[in-house]
Amino acid sequence: MLGSLSTSLLLSVFLIMLVLSGISGLVFLHPRVPLRFVRIHIWIVAIPPLVALLAVANTRLNEVVGPWYLDTLAWLMAFFVLFIGLIIQRFSVRYLMGDRSYRKYFTLFTFTTSVASIAWLSGDLRFMVIFWGATLLGLVLLINLNSGWKVANEAAKVSGRLFTLSWVSLVVAVIWLFQVTGYWQLSLALTSEGLSQLGVWEKAGINLLIVLAVMIPAAQWPFQRWLIESVVAPTPVSAIMHAGLVNAGGIMLTRFSPLFNGEIASIVLLILASISVLIGSGISLVQVDYKRQLVGSTMGQMGFMLIQCALGAYIAAIIHLILHGLFKATLFLQAGSAVRRFEVSKSVNERSSYLWIIAGRALGLIVGVAFWLIAPGEGYQLISALILGWSLSVSWTQLVAFGEGRIGRIAGVSFLGGVAAIYFIIHQLFYEWLYTTVYQSVQPPMSVVIIVICLLLFGSAIGAWVARNRSSVSFAVLYLWLVRLGEAKPKSVESHPNYLKHYLSQGGNQ
Amino acid sequence: MGVASAVRKEDFKKNNRAINLQESDLNVLVASASQVIAPLWPIASFAARNPWLGLEKLSFDQVAAGLKQNHDVDIYPSASMILSAKKKGEIDEAFVNVGLQRWLDSHSYTIPRDVAERFCHAALKLEALPSELLSSREVEKLVEGFDGLNTEGVEAFSMQPISAQIENHDHEKLVNLLNHHIIKWCKLYLDDSQAGWSMPNREDGFYHAWQRLVRFDPALTKAQRESLKDWPQEAEEALKRALSRLEISESDIQSYLEGHLLSLPGWAGMMLYRSRQSSDEQALLTDYLAVRLSLEWVLVKPYMPVNHQPAEKNVSIPSLLAAWLQWGELTIEEWSQLSAAEQNEYLLFAYTFDEKLCRKLWLEAWEQTYTDKLSQKILSKQQEIHNKKPSLAQFAFCIDVRSEPFRRQLEKHGPIETIGIAGFFGLPIATSELGSNHSHASLPVILKPQHKIKESADENELQSYQERKQAVNSLSYTFKTMKQNVLPSLLLPELSGPWLSLQMVARSFVPKSANRLIRNVRETWLRKPNTKLLLNHTHSSKAETPVGFTGTEKVNYARQALKMMGLIENFSPLVVICGHGSHSINNPYASALDCGACGGAAGGFNARVLAALCNLPEVRKELAAEGIDIPKETVFAAAEHNTTVDELEWLYVPELSEAAQEAFDYIEAIMPKVSQKANEERIAQLPNFQSQLKNPQAEAHRFAEDWSEVRPEWGLARNAAFIIGPRELTQDCDLEGRAFLHNYDWKQDKSGDLLANIVAGPGTVTQWINLQYYASTVAPHYYGSGNKATQTVTSGLGVMQGNASDLLTGLPWQSVMQSDHEAYHSPLRLLIVIQAPSKFIERLLKNDSAFRDKVENGWVRLASINPQGRWKNW
Repeated sequence: MLGSLSTSLLLSVFLIMLVLSGISGLVFLHPRVPLRFVRIHIWIVAIPPLVALLAVANTRLNEVVGPWYLDTLAWLMAFFVLFIGLIIQRFSVRYLMGDRSYRKYFTLFTFTTSVASIAWLSGDLRFMVIFWGATLLGLVLLINLNSGWKVANEAAKVSGRLFTLSWVSLVVAVIWLFQVTGYWQLSLALTSEGLSQLGVWEKAGINLLIVLAVMIPAAQWPFQRWLIESVVAPTPVSAIMHAGLVNAGGIMLTRFSPLFNGEIASIVLLILASISVLIGSGISLVQVDYKRQLVGSTMGQMGFMLIQCALGAYIAAIIHLILHGLFKATLFLQAGSAVRRFEVSKSVNERSSYLWIIAGRALGLIVGVAFWLIAPGEGYQLISALILGWSLSVSWTQLVAFGEGRIGRIAGVSFLGGVAAIYFIIHQLFYEWLYTTVYQSVQPPMSVVIIVICLLLFGSAIGAWVARNRSSVSFAVLYLWLVRLGEAKPKSVESHPNYLKHYLSQGGNQ
Repeated sequence: MGVASAVRKEDFKKNNRAINLQESDLNVLVASASQVIAPLWPIASFAARNPWLGLEKLSFDQVAAGLKQNHDVDIYPSASMILSAKKKGEIDEAFVNVGLQRWLDSHSYTIPRDVAERFCHAALKLEALPSELLSSREVEKLVEGFDGLNTEGVEAFSMQPISAQIENHDHEKLVNLLNHHIIKWCKLYLDDSQAGWSMPNREDGFYHAWQRLVRFDPALTKAQRESLKDWPQEAEEALKRALSRLEISESDIQSYLEGHLLSLPGWAGMMLYRSRQSSDEQALLTDYLAVRLSLEWVLVKPYMPVNHQPAEKNVSIPSLLAAWLQWGELTIEEWSQLSAAEQNEYLLFAYTFDEKLCRKLWLEAWEQTYTDKLSQKILSKQQEIHNKKPSLAQFAFCIDVRSEPFRRQLEKHGPIETIGIAGFFGLPIATSELGSNHSHASLPVILKPQHKIKESADENELQSYQERKQAVNSLSYTFKTMKQNVLPSLLLPELSGPWLSLQMVARSFVPKSANRLIRNVRETWLRKPNTKLLLNHTHSSKAETPVGFTGTEKVNYARQALKMMGLIENFSPLVVICGHGSHSINNPYASALDCGACGGAAGGFNARVLAALCNLPEVRKELAAEGIDIPKETVFAAAEHNTTVDELEWLYVPELSEAAQEAFDYIEAIMPKVSQKANEERIAQLPNFQSQLKNPQAEAHRFAEDWSEVRPEWGLARNAAFIIGPRELTQDCDLEGRAFLHNYDWKQDKSGDLLANIVAGPGTVTQWINLQYYASTVAPHYYGSGNKATQTVTSGLGVMQGNASDLLTGLPWQSVMQSDHEAYHSPLRLLIVIQAPSKFIERLLKNDSAFRDKVENGWVRLASINPQGRWKNW
């Protein structure tokens, strides 16, 4: 394999290619450049993620090169955001064909994903803060791409305001950390020596600021407004937003993990994130718009990612944020397929399936317990086991127990088996890649874990209760509150897209 | 809308002496108010919909004026669209002049003709008045002291919702808040199994569910919730109470309701559609209005009593004067020398000859230019009908405009005759695919299915097919269940993420092969067995649509279809009944590209049914007895024309006679060439990076299978004419895929019944399609459905823009626009051309009053070609 020399080589190649794709974006802005240049542009923006992938495969050590901190995680995140960016840009080539901001869109998009990737490669906190700020700025500009549309402006304004709050709180945290430890370099500031200089209150203060900074981009309650209102953005912008940028919190907390450890800030984060999981799931349950359901789901998923972080399961969080990103990007890009006639399946013979259902529950229980016993000491393992067992039981019921005939059941079992195999292989792969780079944290107290489990079970219990009490007043109140939380405010809603009138009166003879 | 009610208001006033509004009266009022909106179908069976369905008793211009005045919706093409059409040579300016002269002749004014003409010519340039002039001090000075224009007789006042006249402290109009609430309630109520938790109590109907829930709605303030505590239990009561609290006088009620229906015509249209679907929801529109007006009252309550004067229409005197200075080339001195009466006359003239009128004249010239070109094209090619060579095969295509280029290519490549007929082939059927409980009404939405036709297969094969199909369905169902379950939903991305991303990467970089692979895997797994159609009548319970046809019905439908096609003699050995469908993915508007005559679905099923009917020996025997003698060697087959890739797929080929086999082989041989030529012509029209394509065929497949494609094909964009006549009339003309073609031979139609049927059935379908495209182009925000990139599918029923909006009704922006800067569709009202003697047309107009209204009121245009080849515009 290539040695350490190649690390800096790879880095320079990577940065050069990144600059090149930025230049290509700028070139495309010029009206004299023909539109078909966009294909060359796609080729160019395809190179940086390839370089990053190469680097992921070649990185064995955690290295500090100048202001950069290059480990597998850094390269992986850079690859991830650029790769999703590439796919979405490729998608937009046809999808946005004819749009009046076509050129500007590609430039901004390239800019946003590039600076995001740099932010995750930064070891110097000043770099990280600046590039992360630039990413947020790029995102706001993308939301506001159709600047002639009143509601897009409104969404950009809301997002801009919240992002500023998030960014400022990160800046303050970083400066504070520097004040105490005297280092801008994250790896130096967070050595045990550096950390020992922090007083209890200083540590809590910095941590709380960081929690604030990560909760806003993750759209956690009570800061979910921006994600709710920005449904107005074009589909590809929503895709990158939900896939590549909301999950920044997971990476940031992983980076700050030595500092962030089972203190008051973790408890605050745990509670707010758990509430967000419940609210997010609730929103996606009551909403009927495809994109708004996805917003609710993102909110819940990001809550789960932050719970994982707060419980010290950083690798699990990284896996979750990457797979969720890919998952959500796909679901957004195929938003046009949401019109589907659901064939109501024939009423299943409940009694004949009953044994199968029981078998599924037993299987779920066994797998869950077995999974937990692999590492019973780790708090997150218990939660993970619970979710795994529960999911198995639910999907077994649907796929196998309700499967029609022999064919249905065999297909169901083999499908379950296939999915499970891939799931474990991918997890194994990630653990091998990342175990060196992630700080092994102290376990949170079991009581905290129990609280989280109770909250999650509470959510499930509500679901079961609702099924029996659909006409109760409490359900009406709960229902309407969830609807309310998921709806945009009146200012961000327009009954008809009136900006098109201006397009008609301006366009036409250009 | 005002105009609509203005006509009826008079009658209403007379009849309505009673002080207390009876319930039945209210329902009558709601029913007549509902004429201003048109029912809206769910998007999964997107069928053409004429947004002005109930307004055809009024003239196009009246409706235009009313919409502009009350809802700021402009239904004439915009100035820039007109200018760009002119630049492309689509409008002959001479026709504008003719139109202008006609207008000047028919209006009385005291201004010298040359002055008026100069003014009009300048105004017709459609340039905006310079803003310096409008705000110049001189103009302002001159206007001072002018106390309003005497515009009597020009004004037509109507009701806007009261909430549209009030602003809250945030300077937000209350009607916007009201819409926000209504959108929310509508989508939650109408939801078609998208939400995990559906709206509580929705089984009890819209109003009841709302009435029970609204008391807890946190989106209202406490005071607002309080004021709804003792609100009536029944919708009619609530509506009445709201109307009286809003102080709407009884004579205004209808137009007030109309104003409300037009605020969100999409949601109201969906309510109207649903109210006609089941008896449980019959009063849904009343429910809707009750909810809407109750909420309006709650919102405006703090501002009551509202001084609701008719919103004085502002006549901007400065702009009228500026128009005279700019276009009339009047100097300020000259103006000052005019007497007050003359000044008033001048201003009134400028007021009447406004920008709208200019654009109307342009629109008419545009239409006239098209008519002119079409008539030249058709008439120049007219020769005596030479003795027809017997053709090898006859193809019956749908009248759809996309059939025309394909037919032209097919005819060019061999001795093949093509025929145009509405794509449901006159079969009023609901189709039900193998193993499916769902049946689709495969006929124009104006009709109701009379029969249900099912597919059948071998019992064992069907059983295992069902199981395989169920296995596939249960995957998406499991996905949904896990998504709606708190704990499993957290694991779902990790389980499905790898698979979804694999699909995403493949679809992005190799769209064509990826989609093919996915489709092939699916089809290989499903292995749909060969099916037969169940044509024979089977007994079923009274309430349901009967399954199959009786013996006489079979003969009747076959005869009717053959007569409509004009195919009663000279049968070729092979007759292909050809439906059409489209192929696109990730496209919520996929069904808009399918057959409009089949209720927004592919028409292959109907083609199969007709072909099968015509092959039945008992049917042939009956027909022969009536003089329609189908030779023994003639075989009917069915196929489907895929309009996205211009290919032909055989759906049903029975055992062929020798001659038919020969024809079949011949068709198979020429088909690749035909496809390629047809694609070449069509693909060049679609926006792309290169203008020259090496392989149009492959590119067409890319358009069809690329998940990021927003314009998989142009659909029926640019449609402009409906030609009813024999194919010989248009045989060698390149009609550019803009004309619907229906076969018709007046000589076989002494009674005029065939023509009447064609105009009433296919004629209406084409008119609706045409007006839908028209409306989506001229008012894309109101009648279209906006940009595809910012749409979200809601409730499984339709799309909304941005965070929430009206349920959008028409075609998306991308389906009518080449780009944000350039229109593709030319908004022209449908030109119906009939080849028949004038007597036939006169008889048609006399007998069909609905059609006469359409022609007289400018909803379609009518022309005819008489047997001597003379063109006449009616």
